[in-house]
Amino acid sequence: MPCAEREALTGLITTLIVALLFIWRLSVLHDAGLFAGPEALQVWARSVLLLVAISLGIAIMVTILFHIGYEVVTGEKTDDRRDERDHLIERRALTWAWYLLSFGILGVIIDLALGATAFRAMNLILGLCAVSEIFKDGFKLWLYRRGA
Amino acid sequence: MALSARGLTVPHIENRIRRLRFDADEMTQKDLADRVGVTRQTILAIENGKYAPTLDLAFRIARTFGVPLDEVFTFHDD
Repeated sequence: MPCAEREALTGLITTLIVALLFIWRLSVLHDAGLFAGPEALQVWARSVLLLVAISLGIAIMVTILFHIGYEVVTGEKTDDRRDERDHLIERRALTWAWYLLSFGILGVIIDLALGATAFRAMNLILGLCAVSEIFKDGFKLWLYRRGA
Repeated sequence: MALSARGLTVPHIENRIRRLRFDADEMTQKDLADRVGVTRQTILAIENGKYAPTLDLAFRIARTFGVPLDEVFTFHDD
């Protein structure tokens, strides 16, 4: 498995873990009533910033563990080489993920115009970021597997 | 059928890389990949007609085998 494909797989695993962590933590805070007051967005933003920092740690850990595990299980030496096909797949996946995010944000703006709260909009944007990231890595893996 | 100009399947372009590798002392995909500076998976995708290389890579592959480009890749206008 080439380096870029492994990165897509670790990216996908990381994003799924982080997304679940975000959902769990924000749900707990929501149920505790911390997002109910006038400073709800500030509390939300602080919580998200903390989760982003934790996510970076998770990403580093998953990447290291996956690379070590992959080498141990398959016996393949890590090849960090990237070529034109990797760049092509990266560009295509990024482009489609960008479309998804752009149209999603447009949808959130429409939702806001129809009366949704800013709190709901921010959560939707956060969710969209996770979905577009999952889509990007999933699409990359699909392109690698089908032989783009 | 090709869905876009680049990146998807390319049925009109055929290649003889597998044959040329065999003729070159049964050169492995890995050896060829190392010589032209790409991953083995890219050579595999090219051989299977699932990826159309850039001109730069196509010329490097041809040069590796010491043959003109049109002996490696052929275009079918059907």
